Order: sequence, then C-alpha cells, then structure tokens
Amino acid sequence: MGFLAPWFLAALAAVGLPVYIHLLRRQTTTPRPVSSLMFFERGIQSSTRHRKLRYLLLFSLRALLVVLLALVFANPFVRRSAASANDRLMVIVVDNSFSMRAGTRLEDAKREALEMLATRRPSQRAQVMSLGGALQVLTQAIQDSGALKAAVENIQPGDSHGNFGELGRGMRALTETVHTPVDLHLFSDMQASNMPTNFADMVMPGNVSLVLHSLANRVVPNWTVESVEAPGLLVDPKKARVLAVIAGHQTPAATRTVSLVINGKVSITKKVDVPADGRATLAFEGLDVPYAASRCEVRIDAADGFAADDSSLFAVKRADPERVLFVHQAGDARSQLYFGAALSAAAQASFVLQPIVADQAGDVDPTKYAFVVLSDVTSIPSILENSLLRYVQNGGSVLIAAGMSEGHRQKIPVFGESATDARYYSRTGGSSTVGQVDTSHPAMKDAGGWAEAKIYYATVVDPGRSRVVARLADGVPLVMDKQMGQGHVLLFASGFDNVTNDLPLNPAFVPFVDESARYLAGVERLSGARVVGSFVALRSVTNDAASAGATVQVIGPDGKRPLSLQEEATAQSFQLSHAGFYQIRFANGRNALIAVNPNRRESGLDLIPADVLKLWSGSAGSDTSSTEAAKAAATEEKKNPYSLWWWIMLMILFAAVAESVVASRYLGTQREEA
Amino acid sequence: MQRFLDPSVLAGISGLDLVAKTVVDGFVAGLHRSPDFGFSQEFAEYRAYTPGDDLRHVDWNLFARTERCYLKRYRGETNTQLTILLDASNSMNYSSHGVSKMDYARYTAASLFYLALHNQHDPSGLIVFDDEVRDYIRPSTRQGQLHRLLSGLERAEPRARTDFAKPLTHFQEFLRRRGMVVVISDFYESPETIVKTIEPLRFHGSEVVLFHLLDPKEIRPEMRGPSILVDLETDQRLEVIPEYVKGEYRRKIDGHLQEMRERSKAAGLDYYLLVTDRPLDAALSEYLFLRPGGR
Repeated sequence: MGFLAPWFLAALAAVGLPVYIHLLRRQTTTPRPVSSLMFFERGIQSSTRHRKLRYLLLFSLRALLVVLLALVFANPFVRRSAASANDRLMVIVVDNSFSMRAGTRLEDAKREALEMLATRRPSQRAQVMSLGGALQVLTQAIQDSGALKAAVENIQPGDSHGNFGELGRGMRALTETVHTPVDLHLFSDMQASNMPTNFADMVMPGNVSLVLHSLANRVVPNWTVESVEAPGLLVDPKKARVLAVIAGHQTPAATRTVSLVINGKVSITKKVDVPADGRATLAFEGLDVPYAASRCEVRIDAADGFAADDSSLFAVKRADPERVLFVHQAGDARSQLYFGAALSAAAQASFVLQPIVADQAGDVDPTKYAFVVLSDVTSIPSILENSLLRYVQNGGSVLIAAGMSEGHRQKIPVFGESATDARYYSRTGGSSTVGQVDTSHPAMKDAGGWAEAKIYYATVVDPGRSRVVARLADGVPLVMDKQMGQGHVLLFASGFDNVTNDLPLNPAFVPFVDESARYLAGVERLSGARVVGSFVALRSVTNDAASAGATVQVIGPDGKRPLSLQEEATAQSFQLSHAGFYQIRFANGRNALIAVNPNRRESGLDLIPADVLKLWSGSAGSDTSSTEAAKAAATEEKKNPYSLWWWIMLMILFAAVAESVVASRYLGTQREEA
Repeated sequence: MQRFLDPSVLAGISGLDLVAKTVVDGFVAGLHRSPDFGFSQEFAEYRAYTPGDDLRHVDWNLFARTERCYLKRYRGETNTQLTILLDASNSMNYSSHGVSKMDYARYTAASLFYLALHNQHDPSGLIVFDDEVRDYIRPSTRQGQLHRLLSGLERAEPRARTDFAKPLTHFQEFLRRRGMVVVISDFYESPETIVKTIEPLRFHGSEVVLFHLLDPKEIRPEMRGPSILVDLETDQRLEVIPEYVKGEYRRKIDGHLQEMRERSKAAGLDYYLLVTDRPLDAALSEYLFLRPGGR
C-alpha cells in the first residue's frame, strides 16, 4: 500500500481539533460557582457514563472524518496483482501472410498458438486474429476454448503482404474499447519486409504486453520470379515478347530452369544463370497463345524452401487489331499522320487507325471501335455527338485534341466543358512548357520527355469535375481526364500536329499515345497481372441509373464467386485478395481475365534483427524468441496500483451521516433542556 | 420613573445615597401622592363628646353650625424604629446577571433607610452579620445617620458563611425597643432553623419582615451538560448533571420556598421573596404596608 500524494498526510494533525474539543476541553472546564450546594446532589454515575459514551462516539466519528479526509487527499493505493485477475485479455495473432507458406511455418504457428491457448486459465478471455494484409478478427474476446481452438485451426494460408503496422493500428483500436491489460502473442516468421516504413506504426499501446513467437530462426535462401512483363493484348504472337526477372534472396550463384507455361502447358523452357543474391533477366520471344484470354505463367525450378513463389502468373488476350476511329478536319492531315505513326509504333498496342472527316462521320457507330479520337474538329454532326455520349456512358472512351479550331467553340463536344480562352504562346515570340505531370495516371506512366516539349498554343478549358493530368508552366490544364458514366474522355488541350506544339516530334509522344490508347481501350483493365491486395474498379463511381442496375460477376481463383448477389449489384470495387486468375465481367459488359500474384516483397525471407524485435516487444533484456520466456511473461504477476479513493469517499459519506445523526441527537437534547 | 427601580439601571449609579434617593423619589412619585404630607396631621374620625373628654379636641366650628359637640380626632403621631439585619455571607455574592444579591440587598436597604429617615423620620439602624455580627449601627435619627448607614452598607463586603444561631444573642441585645426588623438574606438554611432563630425578635413586639433574596438562576438554574459546582461559602465541589437540575432541584427549591413562606406565616413573621431581576418597589411597598400607622 502506498500514497500517491503522501504530503497530504500532514493534515492528520487536524485530528487534534476533535481531541481538543472532546477531551482536553472537557478537562479544563471551569467550575461554576453557586450560592450553596444545599439543594444539589451528585449526578447519577450511570447517566454520566452514558453521556460520556455518547461523547466518545461523537468524538470517534469526528476524528474518523478528519482522518479519512486527510487520507482521501493523500490518495492511497494498493498494488493489486493484475495477472492474477482473470481480466487480462489474451490475444493470439497468427501471421498468415504469403511468406508463412514457406516450409511448415503456418502449421508451426498454429500449433504454438494452440499450445499457448492451452496454458490459458479457463476463466481468462482470449481472442484470435490473423495478420495478413490487414488484421482480421476471427473471434471476439471469449472464454470458449472450443471456439478459440477452432478459430486457430481454421486459419488458412494467405497470399497478401504482411504489415506489422496494421497490427499496431489494430491493437490501438482494440485498446480504445478494451481497458483491461492485453497479452498479445504474435506467431510470425518476423519477416523484415513486413515492417512498416515508420517504426512508430508498430509500437503497441501501454497496456498491451507483446510476446513475440518467432517461427524462423535462420534465413532461408529463396529464388523467385520477381516480375514478368508481357503484353496484355496480343495481336501478333510472333512479335510478342515476355521478359521475366529471376531473383535470388540469400542464394548462391546457380543456374535455374525457367519455363513459360501457357494454359497449363509448358511452352518454352530456358536456363538462366542467377548470380549470388542477385537478379537475372530472361526473355521469351514469341507467345503462342490462342485467341481469347490465356492463362500464362513463368515458372522456375527453384527447389528451395519456399515453393509458392516459384511462379508468376499473367493473362494475355489475343485478338485481331482493334480499330480506332480518328475524326479530323478535312484539311488536317498532319494530325492523322503523327498520331497514326505513333500508334503503329507502339510495341504492345495493336490498333488500326481509321481516319474519317468530321462531316462524314454522322452515321458511324462508335461501339465498333476500341476508342474514338476527335482531333481538333470544329464541329461534328449532332448524331455523332449523341452516339458518342451514349458510347461513353456505356463504357467507351474518347480522346479529344482541342487545337486552334476548338478554341473558337464555346463548348468542347462530348467533354461538355467550355473553352474559356486560347493561349497563343507563339505570338508572344515563345512557347510554354509542361510544368506538372500526374504520373499516377495510366496515360502518363512514362512522362520523362514531357518537360522538353514546347507548347505554342493551348485551349484554356475549364476542368470542371475532371482530373487534371498535366498542366503547363502557367497553370493552364493541358491533359484532363473526365469520367462520364462507365467511360472516360481524355482531353488534350492542344493539337496532334506539329503546329500547335512540337510534342509529335518529341520522344514522349509515342509512349503517351501508346499508354493513352491502352488506357482508353481498357487493355490494362481487361488483362495483365496485379498484386494481391490491389483493387479492381467494377463500376464507375458516378453511380448513375444506367450502371446501377447492371451486375458484375467475379469468379475467384478457386472457381467460386466471392461477391454476394447484392454486392454484385452495388459493389464499386473489389479487392483481389488471393493469388490466381480472376474472371471479371464488368458492369459495362466487358470481360476480363486478371492474373494476381503475391507481393514479391514476401519472397525476401530476411528476418527482423533481434535488437529491433527486442525494442518492439519492450523487453530488451530477455530472449523474446524463447517460448519459455513467453510463457513466463504471460503468467507474470504484474502488479498495478489500484486507487482506494472511491472507497474512502464512501466511508467519508457514511461517517458524515453518522456524525450528523449523533450530533443532532445530542443537540436536540440540549434544546429541550433549554 | 419606574425604570429607575430596575436593579440593572441602579447598578450604573455609583453612590448608594443617590441610588436610595432615586428609588424612593421614583417610588413615591409612582404613588401619586405628595412627598410632603405629614402623617401626624392626618384626620382620622369624629366622635361624640362624652364627659371627661379633653375640650381642646372639640370641633367648635361644627358645634357652632350644628350645636352638637363632637371631638375631631387625628391619627396619633407614631415613630417606629427600623433595624435592618443584612446577611453579608459569601453566598450573597452570587450573580447570574449584572446585579449580585449583595448589590440588590444594598439597594433595598439603602432605599428603606432613605425612606425611613428622610420621609418618615424613623430611627434606623443596621446590623451586618455572617456567622457573627460584623457591624452594628445603632438606630437613630440624628444628623448624619443616613450617611453612617450607607457607609455601613458600603463596608458590608460578603465573606464567610451564614450562621443565624450564633449572632442571635447579639440581636437580642441590640433590639430592645419595639420597632420594625427587616432581615435581608438568601436564607440558605433549613426554614425551621431560620424561623426558630428569628422568631424571638418578635417577642419584643417588633414587626419582623424576612426579605428572601434570590437570583433568578437559583430558582430556575440552566445547565447544558454535566458541570462541577463550587459552593461559594464552603468551597465544596460537586458534579451535577442537567437532568437533576431540571427535575429534582426545582422541586427542592420550590419546596424550600413554600416551607419558608408557611413557617414564617405560622410564626407571625412577614415573608417576602425578592428576585434580583425585579424592580425594588416591591420591598418598599412591603415596608410601608407593614409600618405601624400605615401610609
């Protein structure tokens, strides 16, 4: 027992006040003189004693009141055993990230978790969670051993990238509602790549006692297919090229056999020399895939302890070249020349440009084209504009080049926004440059050469609700992306000729056209490879009536539909949580085959340094990896101070009431006598 | 003027002579009579003449009008001797408010002396006693008698204890002439002893008046808790509880007063209870009422 504010105990000297009033003061009572004692008699002893007893009771109550007041300010506390109380919550967290597939790590983790649960007292509550890309709560804080055991046994290996920062955030959220001490047992391979960028993210709250159970004591050498670069849309199989990077983590120099598997059949096999703890790039020329979507895979014979990352999936869609409608002015041949040349020069895109004069495009059906380009047209037939609007609403895409002709129009067709001004930089004897590029946009992935491009003319367009992808040095939006319904409209606020800018002569033009074409044609969305944990946009966020009723369909790698019927009708995005091939039918009716690969950071099986682990668990002086130490920590009698303030206040209340009753009885007698 | 009879007001007046004058003048004024009337000149009655009567008393004016012979009679000119026996024991020192019993006794005695000497021309004397006779001033009407009496009252400081039996013999020596004897005391003795001791004074034909002087708190004492009481005369200490004071004491003191009243009456003594918080006129009225010859 102790006192949080012991200096208040000095107030105990105030007990002297009732002592003086009741004891000392009575002793010094001045005798009262009377004329004669003739009629007086000595008081009856029993009555006096009774009175004295009442005085003593009153004195005791008053002294007790003073003592309790001093004590309550001194705030006494007792050290109560926290561990002995069954209110300590045991939280079992099993890491089921992709790296736990190595060897028997997950099985070992589950076995140790079950052993830890077995040491739990029957009345102690426990909670089971799994840690992958996010912290998943599998049970509530319960005492049911059977439910806890079943939750641990049902933890399945995951494909996501583990993040200890998620564990720290989850524990902070947990302790906001659970105020009891928490014993957190983490069963993980303590992979170095699981650490967040900021160490503070994984720091535990004060009432969480972290016990680490490391399942990997040494670094395991591992080869993996780190990345595969392959075209999503394939027109000519002979021109196709697949680049694979084979990486070794903590591995010696070795020769590995790499196979290209197409739809389950090994197509090409090559050998590659992988340096010690290094990387090697391998190219497969030609990709003989049939029409429609194909499931492809690059596989190595790693023969290491982590077989799950020995292959990398990708999907390829073979189709005939898609047509692109290029609507231009009658006298504008340069735009067609430059854009067509750039489109045909693109390595992976396979598009055929179909130019048409704006005046003749009234009866064109845009739905037959991958996307439509409006190249600086002064006017387009209203029939075409309406059909283009419907086309975009239903998932089509339009690329608009707003050259000098567009500057005379009040409103940009299809895009909908108005051209407020026109900047003729050449008239002032100079040019403008691109000042800001949003490289996160799919059309701007390779924007290295944009800075050198000179812009002589730009139409100033109010961006409205569209996304500005690039701006000129003076802030004029140059490239804007506007989502309309299920489709996109990409606006280039200049022309595709070499009059309004020198971009067609710039190295950045071909990648821009290539990436824009693939983005607008939806090749990226409909094929290719993704990483576990990434999201796929199932429908546009505009949530208009046209797309609200259309359902999407997602078929996972296991052949099941992870979305319910209601989710298929309303979900806007879907997270690819498992590795494998997903078949997705979007709201706009397009089908896609998407390959999902685990995050390759999981392939690096480097361990977190021991000193970092000790720092994290807050027990630098003990061996965190030993199970014995962990069990000892779990059963450690940790004593926390427990304030008695509330109880003393209760006693003060009772003492005050009793003192009032006794004192009022005494004073009541006095009034009667008077 | 009635307020000047209040003991607490009188306590603010320094000299006893002034106190006495204030009290008596105020008292007499309250009677609505002139302070200059003479007792000896007061008409008493007419009586038919009988042979042998002194012809000097015949009302000749009446005879001239009616031819009947009547004697005009006046009250006889009487002088009575006033002797005050003042108890100066320690118990007279008790006071629960501004005026002690001794002060009140002084005021009473001084007022009586003033009234007797100044207004009545009665010879007045003083005997101060406790357990013996401490001071004696012979009754007289000589010049300066009032001053001597008041000085005797001033000197009468309370001390020792009361004992009626011992100074009794001396009282007998001093009181040889008929008159009026006033005993002022708190009478903390058994009524039987008191009456037996004082009763012989009456055998000379004197009127004996007992002024029983008590403080109001002696009749109805207040006590908040068990207290130690000290006897002013004997220094004896006694612890008393409030319950006793509230019940038994009151019964005892009431019984004592009742017995005093009854025994005094039985013995032909006039008894009057004076409480020190009441005006002094009661004592003066008693004196005038009992004085031979009346007012």
